[in-house]
Amino acid sequence: MKKTLVAGALSLLIPAIGLAAEYNLTVDRVKIDTGEFVKEGVGYNGKSPGPVLRFKEGEEVSINVTNNLDEMTSIHWHGLILPFEQDGVPGISFPGIKPGETFTYKFPITQSGTYWFHSHSGFQEPEGAFGSIIIEPEGREPFRYDREYVVQLTDKHPHSSERVMRNLKVTPDYYNRKQQTVGEFFSDASENGFLSTVKERLAWGGMRMMQADVEDLQGFTGMINGKSPKQNWTGIFEPGERIRLRFINSSAMTYFDIRIPGLEMTVVQADGNNVQPVNVDEFRIGVAETYDVIVRPKDEQAYTIFAESKGRSGYARATLATEEGMEAAVPELREPARLTMADMGGMSGMDHGDMPGMDHGDMAENDEMAGMDHSNMANMDHGSMAMPEAGPSDPFYAEGSGLVPTAANGGKFLSYADLKAQKPLYEQREPAREIELRLTGNMERYTWSINGVKYEDADPIRLKYGERVRFKFVNETMMTHPMHLHGMWSILDVGAGQWNPVKHTVSVQPGTTVYMETEVDASGQWAFHCHLTYHMAAGMFRKVIVEGGPESTQAASSEQSSNAGGDV
Amino acid sequence: MISPRLIVAATAMSISFTAFGGGTHGGGHGHGANAGEPGKAGDANRTVSIKMYDNYYEPETIAVNPGETVRFVVQNKGQLVHEFNIGTPDVHEAHQKEMMMMVEHGAIQGGKLNHDMMEMDMGDGQSMKHDDPNSVLLEPGESAEIIWTFSKQGNIEFACNVPGHYQAGMYGDVNFN
Repeated sequence: MKKTLVAGALSLLIPAIGLAAEYNLTVDRVKIDTGEFVKEGVGYNGKSPGPVLRFKEGEEVSINVTNNLDEMTSIHWHGLILPFEQDGVPGISFPGIKPGETFTYKFPITQSGTYWFHSHSGFQEPEGAFGSIIIEPEGREPFRYDREYVVQLTDKHPHSSERVMRNLKVTPDYYNRKQQTVGEFFSDASENGFLSTVKERLAWGGMRMMQADVEDLQGFTGMINGKSPKQNWTGIFEPGERIRLRFINSSAMTYFDIRIPGLEMTVVQADGNNVQPVNVDEFRIGVAETYDVIVRPKDEQAYTIFAESKGRSGYARATLATEEGMEAAVPELREPARLTMADMGGMSGMDHGDMPGMDHGDMAENDEMAGMDHSNMANMDHGSMAMPEAGPSDPFYAEGSGLVPTAANGGKFLSYADLKAQKPLYEQREPAREIELRLTGNMERYTWSINGVKYEDADPIRLKYGERVRFKFVNETMMTHPMHLHGMWSILDVGAGQWNPVKHTVSVQPGTTVYMETEVDASGQWAFHCHLTYHMAAGMFRKVIVEGGPESTQAASSEQSSNAGGDV
Repeated sequence: MISPRLIVAATAMSISFTAFGGGTHGGGHGHGANAGEPGKAGDANRTVSIKMYDNYYEPETIAVNPGETVRFVVQNKGQLVHEFNIGTPDVHEAHQKEMMMMVEHGAIQGGKLNHDMMEMDMGDGQSMKHDDPNSVLLEPGESAEIIWTFSKQGNIEFACNVPGHYQAGMYGDVNFN
């Protein structure tokens, strides 16, 4: 009996050995040069961004991470499905990696697609500690391309992240240059009447938000693959080739609107999971999201990859060209979007039960405030509010929102509603229960929280292995929050049933309610947080504990393996 | 508010269908001449099996002799609606606009075809019927035959023009021996 067990164990080991691969990463102090300023930062293997790690679905990876810093570090494999001890969140998955220490991550690769990795310690990630991951699938991909490039974006700020956080805490609008001016106040007053303008301003003040709070961090330089707009990262192509661009937003705080003037883009993957192809002219990439697009430049010329920040305070730029050194025109930044009263639809005092997200289909077209309970809004006069009439709409933005993006060329701008899974990952079934997470914050004190409670004071969210849960995000703030659940997939409800797309990061727009479902199929404990660096640091974060499941025995299996035979 | 928009859409559709009509009905006008023409069953001495998956063909290339008539047996093995369409790249591009309209009007919904919608009278005698002899549009599990004569050499591809599919790489090359 023992013999067969040994043979069984060996046969299990052999395929694992056959596909085992070892990788080495060092965590180093680096210099980051934007062409405008040079900054101390953190990188991998001597550089920021770190290397592209290329894995193959089905292989078992060992990654040796050597910490050359004089402080603790960690690496989180963003979007990868793995045992929780390998997830790299200090205090939740493991204690962290001490200075001088080498920690070996070991996990099987069970998926394919575009992902990234980053430090989950302090402010190392916004300081440059990130890289990209490409996982080749076991079988063929459901699309074809001749070349591929990683396009990894970040928002490099001249101030250190700790200084940014201090400034935001003391003066939340420190980095917000787009505040309304006295001049604008008088022009609003002449258009809308003095009284309604005063009332509206009072309303914004009452919410402890400022109308121009589209971005809370400005003054950065947009970077692509470590190059600033001036340094112009360039990808080479031959005319007629199909090129797969793997966009990864590794920014601390910045959403980018991406377009390539002269080229249509076909979106084929979001957050590492294939989607039914969608042709678009432009798309918005949230912090921590990834989108893979296929483009086919037919002419022998240069094309600009233009990534404008959502608040239009900065941009990243790169080039696709048939030869190094070629350039195309770089567009001007467009006018910044402005929040409207609709974007604060989720603020307390309003009944957001039947607010946007998915179910405003029955709202009257010209009554953007329909669906809210006006009775609770004591000191607001809706009749006199200035609302944009029949602006662009998107079911994932509040009705009447000033934030709905439009394509610069008047064409198609990708919406979450366009994302449909290429192949459903899970059987469709009813969730066992719903968990409401109100995204909350106080802009005046720069506190960010979930259900009004910040991380330090909160109980963990407890899930049961094997259940399917429905998360209801209610954004009661006026910022967009990219919510990232570790370890398990976020199935975004776009109303497509079994074709709902599977993501790792879900953006929740101001004044909206968004639903996602999760198949609780990974035991252990996991992080769940807003991926905006300074929101996460301020407390918009939860620990998730998955109770039960086979992993509880598997986690201890390394110690038990030697006597496992005796039990049978 | 709503009706003017519908009129615009309907007009756009009839224009695009008219433009397309000239392009693909084989028989010696427009681009269709390059792709060939519908063949007679009796002339086909070879059957080529084409399997459509999400979103690619097997095989992705076929070789033919100039003037040869081929019977294609096309099966949709995927979970989404797919098309098998023989034409030049230009014709495919024109047809993609029509297919986009079919999606926008709910005639193609992921894995389903809405036949009622395709039959619907869009005005001016136009409909979204997908009945051109150079193509078939199939739901998952369906199969169909096309008999096609490759009259003369040209730049010919077989392609799925469901929005996004061609761009993502769902096409194959017709190589001439």
